[in-house]
Amino acid sequence: MNIDIKGIVVICGNYGSGKTETAVNLAIKRKMDGIDVKITDLDLVNPYFRTREARVLLESLGITVILPDRQYMHADLPILAPAVAGMIQQPSELTILDAGGDDVGVTVLAALENHLAKKKVQLLQVINPFRPFTEDVKGCLRIKEEIEASSKMKITGLVGNANLIDETLPEHIYKGYDLLKEVSSATGLKIEFITACSDIYPQLELNRFSCPVLEIQRKMNPPWKRLSIKGVLTHGV
Amino acid sequence: MAKVLMKGNEAIGEAAIRAGCKNYFAYPITPQSEVAEYLAKRLPEVGGVFLQGESEVAVGYMIFGAAGCGERVMTTSSSPGISLMSEALSYIAAAQCPAVFVNIMRGGPGLGGILPSQGDYFQAVKGGGHGDYHLLVFAPDGVQEAVEMTMNAFTLAEKYRGPVMILGDGMIGQMMEPVEFPDHLKSEPSNKDSWATSGMDKRKSDKRNLVRSLFLDPTELNQNNLTLKAKYDRMKKEEILYEGYNTDSEYKVLIVSYGTMSRVCKTAIDMMKEEGIEVGLLRPKTLFPFPEEAVFTAATKESCKAVISIEMSMGQMVEDVERCVKGQRKVDFYGECGGDIPTPEKIVEIIKGLL
Repeated sequence: MNIDIKGIVVICGNYGSGKTETAVNLAIKRKMDGIDVKITDLDLVNPYFRTREARVLLESLGITVILPDRQYMHADLPILAPAVAGMIQQPSELTILDAGGDDVGVTVLAALENHLAKKKVQLLQVINPFRPFTEDVKGCLRIKEEIEASSKMKITGLVGNANLIDETLPEHIYKGYDLLKEVSSATGLKIEFITACSDIYPQLELNRFSCPVLEIQRKMNPPWKRLSIKGVLTHGV
Repeated sequence: MAKVLMKGNEAIGEAAIRAGCKNYFAYPITPQSEVAEYLAKRLPEVGGVFLQGESEVAVGYMIFGAAGCGERVMTTSSSPGISLMSEALSYIAAAQCPAVFVNIMRGGPGLGGILPSQGDYFQAVKGGGHGDYHLLVFAPDGVQEAVEMTMNAFTLAEKYRGPVMILGDGMIGQMMEPVEFPDHLKSEPSNKDSWATSGMDKRKSDKRNLVRSLFLDPTELNQNNLTLKAKYDRMKKEEILYEGYNTDSEYKVLIVSYGTMSRVCKTAIDMMKEEGIEVGLLRPKTLFPFPEEAVFTAATKESCKAVISIEMSMGQMVEDVERCVKGQRKVDFYGECGGDIPTPEKIVEIIKGLL
């Protein structure tokens, strides 16, 4: 099963659910598939580990990255680059908006309402059941409602991102998928895809899933893990 | 319980709850605001209270008030906020009240920046506020350790009846790691009847307690300082924590580093080991009391030719390292403190320069 997502896609979810890791890896995957990709960092609430940290890598792959002015790169200010509205008006084949966490993080979407209202937009909720507040269906639904109220948009699909970073096992992916199926049947929302880190991807029984699996490589790492195989920094701002 | 994936800031909040803390007062500042966000959601579930003060100055005295009543209480802030709380810290130490302060350091001085730093070592270890007092200072190197140190901080704050600080940096607060909350670090509040202003109704004694930091009588003030000093001497005997990494090897260079910086150093040590270069690391887990003897012993190992303190500062802990090495080895320093954490490659380059 392949991921064939196109159009304007907003990635949202609870704080720390792995939106940026998902957004960055989705952008790379679709670029590799041969389609044009634009991505923007709409995370106005998180001070570290934002899409902007992967800018060099993404641009080297030919992905257009829209960020606030360089002088504000390390500010904890709610800056919305004017170019974001432009990328919504003139989207590429895949246009990814990586929003911030929780209802607070998608407040920015309400500011873009005039632009988004004219377009068909997919709003995907990323879920990691190993994060606080989304360990069960009730928690996931509460976050969903809060995000929808704050963004003035409806969530259109689900993304499973079950992981414990380096300590993730196949059983965690299966458990996450089971929860996602429950959320899907409670909401009627489609599971767009789930993710699995490349270390454990080969160990997965893919026939357990009735959705595509996005194989990801972690890009948002602390500084002691920032080496590529060649011993070269793979990102920076 | 099963492991969960948490940011350091969230995990510190949860650890406080697991330790029995029901009072949390704070004022938001990057990069630690997630503690307040997390506890604002979680504390009402356990019958606790989060109250945002109108400033860090106010928060400092809200902590003093709750601590004086014998309540388990915590605040979290980042560097400029801790500066504003420093007066209260001095008062709380003088009045001998248990409280937990968390500093998730950001770049300074002044407003500095929002990225990680270790520029508040002096502030945490040498005072910050006025007078002869110390904080017991823990320096976690990751989310799990931050949890254990936070839970333990409440017990030790009561054991020594004084403020305990968790000194992390923005990376410790912001990064996510799998974590579990140990049951064995839960503790019962110690007997406060002899000192806390907890009300007369539940207390067995009919003696009125007074919490104060004003001692106008010189003999009495001197006695209070002697009491504090005795506590700090006891901490030096009972509470020192440190970790050695690759210290069983015949290392030529000893790195002394703590917190986030020490994890980068460990990666650099692994990289050099592959090249056949042995380097040791001594990581203080408590910054006060400082592992004086451990640093001296590790530095004066026969194979060790040089010692270097590596910090995300312009050179603060290095003064303690020099003091402990007592001139037996040359003590170098490397540090950066703009917010970009030195890379493992940079550390390898610096160490090779010493060989």
